[in-house]
Amino acid sequence: MEVEREVLLDAPPEEVWEALTDPAQLEEWFANDVEFDVERGGVFRWDDGDVRHAVVEEADPDRRLAIRWWDPAGGEESEVVFTLVAVPEGTRLVVTETASCDWSWGLQAYAGRQRLLCAL
Amino acid sequence: MREDSVFSALSDPSRRRLLESLADRESASLTELAGQLPVTRQAVSKHLALLGQAGLVAATRVGRETRYTLTPEPLGEAIVWMERLGAAWDERLARLRDHLARDGQAGTVVRA
Repeated sequence: MEVEREVLLDAPPEEVWEALTDPAQLEEWFANDVEFDVERGGVFRWDDGDVRHAVVEEADPDRRLAIRWWDPAGGEESEVVFTLVAVPEGTRLVVTETASCDWSWGLQAYAGRQRLLCAL
Repeated sequence: MREDSVFSALSDPSRRRLLESLADRESASLTELAGQLPVTRQAVSKHLALLGQAGLVAATRVGRETRYTLTPEPLGEAIVWMERLGAAWDERLARLRDHLARDGQAGTVVRA
């Protein structure tokens, strides 16, 4: 299962890349408390108690950032990919978040159903 | 046997694609949906009828047009997850746009 969003940003890819990878900037827009290193990954914390641990799977500066992240309490794991494309207006940023299908769908998780839902 | 009809509705890639399209918007017409799939309008119409029988899609007449909306209840958690996630990214990307906006001029959301 995948969610995709796209946004046109009024800044060149290098600036967007910085905003995606610099912990101080990430704290401005992404999470309340960020420990992040583009080589290794890190931890994102939100004031509502939400926490995500992340590892970096691919970092191609100014072009593509892929992280895998999960909730250490709940185990939900997904992959987030940021793709940056330079356009005359600045940067077209596409974000996809894809859930891995190995976590429980709770009440719905009976034979066959999980597979079908994951195919969505 | 609504459960079975949900499974068989989901078993076809075109129907899953239709559900994805509907999940991205409030409602869509047959023409809009047919434009997104490499199949005929008639085929899309049949798929929508099947999805309707499974309780996954509702058809509403608006003037001369029929609008289709996702009625995700049979999909339960999976769709709730997608909606929650999509809303979270909408918020984050709006904040990123504001963060990066130069001279107080914000960018444009292309697809929400």
